Amino acid sequence: MQFKNKWLPYILLSPSLIIILIFLIYPSIDTFRLAFYRVAPFGDRRIFIGFQNYLRLLQDPDYLNAIVISIAFTAFVVIVGLTLSLAIAVLANQRLPGFAIYRTFFIWPYALSPAIAGIVWAFFFDPNVGPIPRLLANQFGTSLNWRADATLAFFLIATAATWKQLGYNIVFFLASLQSIPKELLEAAAIDGAGPPVRFRRIVFPLISPMTFFLVITNTLFAFFETFGLLHVTTQGGPGRATELLIYKLYRDGFESLRSGYASAQSIMLFILVALITILQFRYAQRRVFYQ
Amino acid sequence: MKRWLLGLALAGMLGVLAGALAQTEITFWHAMSGSRQEVVNNLVEAFNTEFPEYEVNAEFTGSYAETLTKAIAAYRAGSPPTIVQVYEVGTQTMLDSDAIVPVYTLNQGEVDFGSFVQPILKYYSYQGELYSMPFNSSTAMLYYNKDVFREAGLDPNRPPRTFDELYEMGLRIVESGAAKGGVSFGWPAWIFEQMFAYHNQFYANNDNGRSGLATEAFINSDFGVQVLGEWQKWTQDGVLVYGGREYSANDPFLAGDFAMLVQSTSSLGGILRKADFEVGTTFLPRLPGYPSGNSVIGGGSLWVMKGASDEQLEAAWAFLQYLGRIDNTIAWHKGTGYFPATNEAVLTLLNEGWFAGEPNALTAFMQILTGVDTPAARGVLLGNFVQIRDIVGAAIEEAVTQNRDPQEALDKAAQEVNRVLSEYSELFGQ
Repeated sequence: MQFKNKWLPYILLSPSLIIILIFLIYPSIDTFRLAFYRVAPFGDRRIFIGFQNYLRLLQDPDYLNAIVISIAFTAFVVIVGLTLSLAIAVLANQRLPGFAIYRTFFIWPYALSPAIAGIVWAFFFDPNVGPIPRLLANQFGTSLNWRADATLAFFLIATAATWKQLGYNIVFFLASLQSIPKELLEAAAIDGAGPPVRFRRIVFPLISPMTFFLVITNTLFAFFETFGLLHVTTQGGPGRATELLIYKLYRDGFESLRSGYASAQSIMLFILVALITILQFRYAQRRVFYQ
Repeated sequence: MKRWLLGLALAGMLGVLAGALAQTEITFWHAMSGSRQEVVNNLVEAFNTEFPEYEVNAEFTGSYAETLTKAIAAYRAGSPPTIVQVYEVGTQTMLDSDAIVPVYTLNQGEVDFGSFVQPILKYYSYQGELYSMPFNSSTAMLYYNKDVFREAGLDPNRPPRTFDELYEMGLRIVESGAAKGGVSFGWPAWIFEQMFAYHNQFYANNDNGRSGLATEAFINSDFGVQVLGEWQKWTQDGVLVYGGREYSANDPFLAGDFAMLVQSTSSLGGILRKADFEVGTTFLPRLPGYPSGNSVIGGGSLWVMKGASDEQLEAAWAFLQYLGRIDNTIAWHKGTGYFPATNEAVLTLLNEGWFAGEPNALTAFMQILTGVDTPAARGVLLGNFVQIRDIVGAAIEEAVTQNRDPQEALDKAAQEVNRVLSEYSELFGQ
């Protein structure tokens, strides 16, 4: 397509470019700059401290703890989440009566925002008034108090996040499963391959690009989009047992008002996720089979 | 439809114009949600009706932390609220901010600050001058369930006075099956601070940060370790049930899951309204062998921010005086459970027999007014107190829920706190 006026395309693009510049590019550059300063809450005093914010981060036991917890959390969300979604997608892919209804039900949680998912889980599992802890207490005399139990708190948020992502993963797996050519499966069946072999040798390699895509999106979700979920449930507690990187950033930046330190954390988070993504591309891509 | 909208818009604009000509408008940002927000709105409406020359626009701006963050962002953008409510842990931040108009500079003799309830006045004073207007002041006390006490064979009119009594009564309650647990806390890190002041122990150096910026915290002193050690012992024996950081312990207390609750006095109204058992209140329990101090004021106060015109400052000062007036501060106390700010208001309440009908409302007054006024009991001022309270809160949780050695947990926390303090004084030091 050829424009008569050579400026016209730029003018047409300018609204979105300006928005991106103001709301994405400028703040990112400013974050890089702020990370070299110690800044007073009101921003009226700042000291240039070079890389001290970063050095301090690497010595901060709470930050190292947040890295470990974030990685464990992400691993849970990706591994448990994808395994479960694939299993459900395979089942939902079969032509059972009423399968359209099941599918809709499975996809439902995706429509919720992380904060709403958190509220639902916080309500169901509230240690005092939640129906599930009450039921367990009445039936088995056990208590499910994640406010006082670090392990429980971790599994609560990890399960809630996994559940929240299920719908999204199932949709993509289903789409991928349905695009597998029937002839391949039939041919394999004629050659005497049973369902497990067919799944391992044909289905799994053919959906590997989708699996890879989902690994990346779920990793990004686990690192960046879980703030709302945490904020309405554990708020990083008890102790620091569920303080993911994104929540520590919020605490330091928006509660303690240390913008320099929080900026350094956001840069570190960016680097960390970039690293993980690069590693995944490096090592996973060899196993991914594109048709 | 369109014409109707246009008319509405025009009318609105005219209204705004007329208002701007006749009135001085000021904004008031606060963090009072739920039933407290209603009480605030009622006070603001009454002020606007009584003083038509002023117009206060009260706005609920989220939690305390969110309100402060928003006020700072607005200040940096050049449009701060005239009055902002800041929680007590934000006091040092505001003092150092260079963004405030201290309340004492507004006072041209209209208000006798000496008539304020002394512990409240002293908390918000810095080096003898009042910087912000006390508004929602509270302290901590012990609530207990008299029905559970009776069931456990305890005297409901003889609540625990010491740590040991609390522990023994708690054990008795748990063993008798009258309740699943003995006691729980709201705001554990704040209760920890309370314990220091209540036993006349400094929480930080430089007279608790009141004669100069604090640079060292004393949380891992023998006293601190002893307090946390007791709490840990209580938990191990099932007496203390950890209940979360803010108000989440209130519901299980109301449900009868445990017999006692150490919580802010601001929960009194809600607890009395919702409890289906007889509620008792008493002073905080003491550790024998330490001198007397006083329990500390918590809650928040109202700060006037720079950037307002002279007329707006006048309006803000008129509004602050209005909130401190006897009838209004009494309405505030009755509506929310927070302290009324002045001694005359307390006397008025006494004269009208309020405390005879609401004896539990008297407990907190008796506690703070019978305490000893010493530098250690006036409450600590710390740079970046928000983060420090979070660090201490995590240390308490580690000791109480994860069985970490109290000395170890507090040593680690003290190291973190001291680092935060030194970073703060590097920014604001001489």
